[in-house]
Amino acid sequence: MAEHTGPGTRDVAIVAFGQTDHRRTSDELSEVEMLMPVLHEVLAATGLKTSDIGFTCSGSSDYLAGRAFSFTMALDGVGAWPPISESHVEMDGAWALYEAWVKLQTGEADTALVYSYGKSSPGSVRDVLTRQLDPYYLAPLWPDSVALAALQAQALIDAGDTDEPALAGVAARSRDAARANSRAQLGGSVPQGDYVVRPLRTGDCPPIGDGAAAVILAAGERARELCARPAWIRGIDHRIEAHSLGVRDLTDSPSTRLAAERAGAFLRPVDTAELHAPFTSQEIVLRKALRLGDEVTVNPSGGALTANPVMAAGLIRLGEAAARVHRGASDRALAHATSGPCLQQNLVAVLEGDPR
Amino acid sequence: MTEVLSAPLVVEFPFTRSLGPVQSAFLTGLRERTVLGVRTADGKVLVPPVEYDPATAEELRDLVEVAATGTVTTWAWNHEPRRGQPLDTPFAWVLVRLDGADTALLHALDAPGPDAVHTGMRVRVRWAAERTGAITDIACFETYEGEGDVMERQAQSHSGEFAGEAVTGIVAPARLDYTYSPGRTQSQYIHALSGRRSVGERCPSCRKVYVPPRGACPTCGVATSEQVEVGPRGTVTTFCIVNIKAKNLDIEVPYVYAHIALDGADLALHARIAGIPYDQVRMGLRVEPVWSESGRFPDHYRPTGEPDADYDTYKELV
Repeated sequence: MAEHTGPGTRDVAIVAFGQTDHRRTSDELSEVEMLMPVLHEVLAATGLKTSDIGFTCSGSSDYLAGRAFSFTMALDGVGAWPPISESHVEMDGAWALYEAWVKLQTGEADTALVYSYGKSSPGSVRDVLTRQLDPYYLAPLWPDSVALAALQAQALIDAGDTDEPALAGVAARSRDAARANSRAQLGGSVPQGDYVVRPLRTGDCPPIGDGAAAVILAAGERARELCARPAWIRGIDHRIEAHSLGVRDLTDSPSTRLAAERAGAFLRPVDTAELHAPFTSQEIVLRKALRLGDEVTVNPSGGALTANPVMAAGLIRLGEAAARVHRGASDRALAHATSGPCLQQNLVAVLEGDPR
Repeated sequence: MTEVLSAPLVVEFPFTRSLGPVQSAFLTGLRERTVLGVRTADGKVLVPPVEYDPATAEELRDLVEVAATGTVTTWAWNHEPRRGQPLDTPFAWVLVRLDGADTALLHALDAPGPDAVHTGMRVRVRWAAERTGAITDIACFETYEGEGDVMERQAQSHSGEFAGEAVTGIVAPARLDYTYSPGRTQSQYIHALSGRRSVGERCPSCRKVYVPPRGACPTCGVATSEQVEVGPRGTVTTFCIVNIKAKNLDIEVPYVYAHIALDGADLALHARIAGIPYDQVRMGLRVEPVWSESGRFPDHYRPTGEPDADYDTYKELV
C-alpha cells in the first residue's frame, strides 16, 4: 500500500508541540486555565497569532471531570471570537490532529492548531471509562479500565507472549526514560507494587493525572517558514476493531497493523516509535503488530506509563515524536495513539525530517 | 491567593435504551434462564449476540440456543470489587466461551481465590434469583465439575420467542462521583459573592471586564487576572418571561429572567427579576441585587427606582 504522498496530497508537518507538566491534581486550575499556557507556547514557538490559524480542532471528554460542555469553555483560551473555523472530537486529541490533517489536505487551511486536555483528578477514571462501553452487555457490569487491560495481559501470558518479569521490564524502562522528561508525572525507580487487578500491578498501570497538549500543523512552504526542521507527516491512518472483547484476539492488534500499513510505516525502518500503551502489556501487543525490533527506540519520552492525561496522551505521542524530529534526534519516527478498551481503535502516523 | 473551592458533585442518569430484535431475544432469554446466540453467514455463533456481523456488517437474525456451561478463555483477579460490579466479594473477571459458541462473553466468576482460576477451566452460569431481562440476570459464573464432551455441543436453532412479554428495552442507571473544583478564577468570584461583592476580571489586551470571570478572554485568548469590582447595580439588557415551572424550584410563574449588565462590566450575566410585575419589566430597567438568606449569592434583582438607562449606554451588551 502506498504512502499518502501521491498526486493531489499536500505535504503537512507538525511544526510545534507543547505540553503541560502532568500532575496528579490541578484543583487550582479550570480546564481553560490549564490549557492556555500550552496554546501560548506553540503559538510563540511559531510566531503565529490566534487570528493566523486556519483551523482549530480539539479532543476531550466531559465525563472525565464531570463538567458539561467543558470543551466550549476551553475555547475561551484560543480567542474564538470573532468566530473561528473550529471542530471538536470526543476522543483523544490524536484524532483531532487527524481531522486537522484532512482539513489541510482539502486546501481550505494552511495552518491548524490542535489541542487536547484531560482532567482525571476530579473523578474516578477507572469508573468513568466504563461509560464508553457497550451499554447493553458491558456497562451494567462496570468492568473498569484496569480489569479489561488485565484480561488482555493474562491472554498474552497464556499465549506465551510475555510474563510478569517482562512486563516489569517495560515499566522500568519507561520510568527510567522519563528521568529525561521534566513534564512526566512518574519517573525514576518505581516499585512494581501490588496487584491492582491480577496480573497487572501498580507498576503496569499508568499514573492518573491531569494535563494538556497542543501542536501546530502547517502545509508546504508555510511549514518551512515556521519551523527549522518540520516533522512531515508522511502517512497517517486510523482503524477500528469490534467493540466486544470476546470477538477479538486480545493478543494481537490487526487494526494497528493495518493503520501502519496504510501510513507507510513498513516501507522503510523507523528509528523511533512513540507508542500509546497505557498498560505495559499493551506495549507487547503493539511491538508485535508494528514489527518493532530492538534497534528502534521505543517511547524515549517514557510514554503513557509516565504521564497519561486521558484524551491528550495520544496527541502527546505525535508531539513527542515530532519534537525528536525537530531537534534532529530522529529522521523517521512512528507515532501511535489508541482509544477504547484493550486497544480497540488505533492511529498510526509516520513522521520524517528533511535530509540533513 | 484565595483558597480554591471544591465540593462533591454527583452525576447520575438513567439511560433508557430500546433493543433491537436480537438483543431483545437475548435479554428475554436470560430472564427465562436460556442463553441465545446468533449465527453468522459463515456459521460462527456469536455470544453475546449482536444485530450486525462485526466482520461483514451483515444483518444477523439467525438465533440459536447455546449451553449455560462454558470454558474460560482469559481471566483477571479482582481483589477489590468496585461499586456496581457483579459481586461484592473478591472475584475473577472472565471471558467465557459458552458451549456451542465461537466467541466469549464478559462476566464475573465467583471463586475462592486466584489459585482456583485458570484459563481453560470449566464454568457454568449462576442465575440471579430475580431476573428482569438484563445482562445482570446472569449473577456470575461458578466452577462447573460436570461431565460432557464440549466439542460435541451444537447450538440449536431457536425462535427467540418465550412465554411472557418480550423485553424491548433496558434502563441502565449510571452514577459517577466527582470532587468538583472550579479553579482559581471562579473560586475568587464565589468568595467575593459571599462578601456581597461581584468581582470580575479585566482582559489585559482588550480591557474588557468579564463577570463572571472564567480566567480567559474569549476574544483575545489570553489569561485575565486583574480583578475589578463591578455593580452592585446594573441594567436589564434583554429578558424573557418564563411560563413553565421548573422542577424543584419554588418560584411562581410567570416570572422574568433577564440579562443584566452590571455597572462596569462588559458582559451581561443572567438572573431573575422580582419586585415588579412581570409585564412591566423592560430593556433599560435599572436593578440591584437582593441577596439570598445565606448571603452567598444574589437571589434575584429588583428595580432601583432610578430612571431607565439610555439604550446607547448598553446597546453593545445586548
